[in-house]
Amino acid sequence: MADQPATESPQVLPATEVLVWRISWLVRLRWLAVVGSLLFIEVARRFLPIQVALPQLLAVLALLASYNLGAELLLARLRRAAEERLAHGQAESAEGSVGRLARILLPRTPPGIEYYDARAAQAAVLASVQIVLDLCFLAAMLHFAGGVENPLWVFVIFHVIVASILLSWPATYGVATLGFLLMAAVAFGECFGVLEHHPLNAHWRADGYLDPRLVGAQVFLLGVTLFVGAYLASSIAGRLRRRELDVVVLARHLETKNYHLEEAFDELAAAEHAKSQYMRKVAHELRVPLGTIKTALSVALRVAPESMAQQPRELIQRAERRAGDMAEMVRELLSLSLVRGAEAHPEAVPVDLWAIAQEILDEMGPRAEEAGIDLTTHIPEPLPPISGSPQGMGDLLRNLVGNALRYTPSGGRVELRIQRVGDEILLEVEDTGIGIAAADKDRVFDEFFRSFHARQIVPGGSGLGLTIVKAVVDRHRGHIAVESEEGKGTCMRVWLPTG
Amino acid sequence: MSNGKKILVVDDDRDLVDILTMVLTGKAYQVVQAYGPQEALAAVDREHPDLILLDVMMPEATEGFHVVWNLRGRDDPYSATVPIIMLTAIHRETPLRFYPDARDHTYGAGEYLDVQGFVDKPVEPDALLAEVDRVLAAARGP
Repeated sequence: MADQPATESPQVLPATEVLVWRISWLVRLRWLAVVGSLLFIEVARRFLPIQVALPQLLAVLALLASYNLGAELLLARLRRAAEERLAHGQAESAEGSVGRLARILLPRTPPGIEYYDARAAQAAVLASVQIVLDLCFLAAMLHFAGGVENPLWVFVIFHVIVASILLSWPATYGVATLGFLLMAAVAFGECFGVLEHHPLNAHWRADGYLDPRLVGAQVFLLGVTLFVGAYLASSIAGRLRRRELDVVVLARHLETKNYHLEEAFDELAAAEHAKSQYMRKVAHELRVPLGTIKTALSVALRVAPESMAQQPRELIQRAERRAGDMAEMVRELLSLSLVRGAEAHPEAVPVDLWAIAQEILDEMGPRAEEAGIDLTTHIPEPLPPISGSPQGMGDLLRNLVGNALRYTPSGGRVELRIQRVGDEILLEVEDTGIGIAAADKDRVFDEFFRSFHARQIVPGGSGLGLTIVKAVVDRHRGHIAVESEEGKGTCMRVWLPTG
Repeated sequence: MSNGKKILVVDDDRDLVDILTMVLTGKAYQVVQAYGPQEALAAVDREHPDLILLDVMMPEATEGFHVVWNLRGRDDPYSATVPIIMLTAIHRETPLRFYPDARDHTYGAGEYLDVQGFVDKPVEPDALLAEVDRVLAAARGP
């Protein structure tokens, strides 16, 4: 049986992997921001005619650095826990308050698909907290570096973009709103004297921050920037995510389909096995009484007095013949089920085709003679052994030669030829018999199929002979071809791999 | 000819045993009947037949084979050589190899069946009588 597909406990999901990776990317970016800010402050102080509240700024940067260190440690813990869980082969689904929060924060997934696990939920919460903190740090730094005068306010857009990549679209708008509110709070706070203003440049528009109209316009424009940015970024990210999800859904779908296919295949194999077992059992059960009936009828004919009337004698003869046909059919059913049955595949052994051919010819010789058919063989050179089943090969030759004899009129010819062709053995049985109609050629291997013509000429016969032949050929990984012309004869060709 | 030779017929199909008995007694053979392996071995010990006609006794088990192996595994020369004809077409249908003449220990028990002839089922009276004649003649020696 195939394993149940992991719908209940998802393995490592690509989304979770990407999310955790992105958070570590975020932490790295923050280090870059700390170092970049320090450098920029230094460069700006030296080469630009600006001033900043240096001690406060440095304090904010120091706080940022220590918070990033904390984030780094948290992330490492999250990773370790995930690896442990992975090593134990289990992934929890996101539950509890973290799970509920994550459902808002993380992009939505189609029903039935657990795209994120508990680790992703924790990562999402961690990412959101970080983005909020980052915004606060940015606001603090800008406040100490000129407030509304500082053009770096637009840096809030970076946070919006990061949010659109990591989080759901509502969360992205939330980040944009928060950025906008923080900026507005600082700008208007300074404007109305609630917060102290740290001018960036003493010479340039020094009073601008005090004009609510100017501040309002700037805040408004920033707001537009942020929300348009949020819209653009989240729609692009959303589209990409949907495509990613499609792939995941498709993979799941294929996995499930594959599982069902495997299951169906197992069931089919079991059914085939049961069928073959049943066929064998039935054949065995039918065979014994049939054999006894046939023998009883032949003995009855033997012991019957000479004076027995012609009519009852003929009836007994007919019954005996038909019992014989039926016994033969049962025998063929049995050998077909043996060839096909999975348990009846004994180890392949080297098969000496020459010896088997001789055996079959000895067996068939008297029949050919009786029917007035010239049965010959042509095996020009020693044959390499083939690997397979001697019984199967016996069945194959017996059926092919037997068929040829059966459907060849008196005075005809049947020839068995076996030769090596490349790394294959070519086995041919050619007769000058009644042939097979073109329309019937494809059906001769079907179970119980007997052509109209064949039935006319030979009433008995199971229609299983060539089915057995085909089963044996298949089992030996060979192939078979029929060449026939009605009224002229038939040539059956079997190719078998050697070795 | 038969010279009143004694033949043991073993088959679990009692009808068939009776029918074969009819055929054989018609040719003046003496017939002893048995319907199972234990009975067959007992009859061999008791009657010392000149020939055994042994069914393979499917589908319950291949008990007929065990009768052969039991007899051939004994020490006395009679059991080792009493001719046996199997009533079956089994030599065509199983992977067992049959080398009736191979007594040179090339093959172990279970690898071959030390029997002297086969008669296919359904049994043809003529074929049966011919095989019985052949095997008895061979047993008398050339």
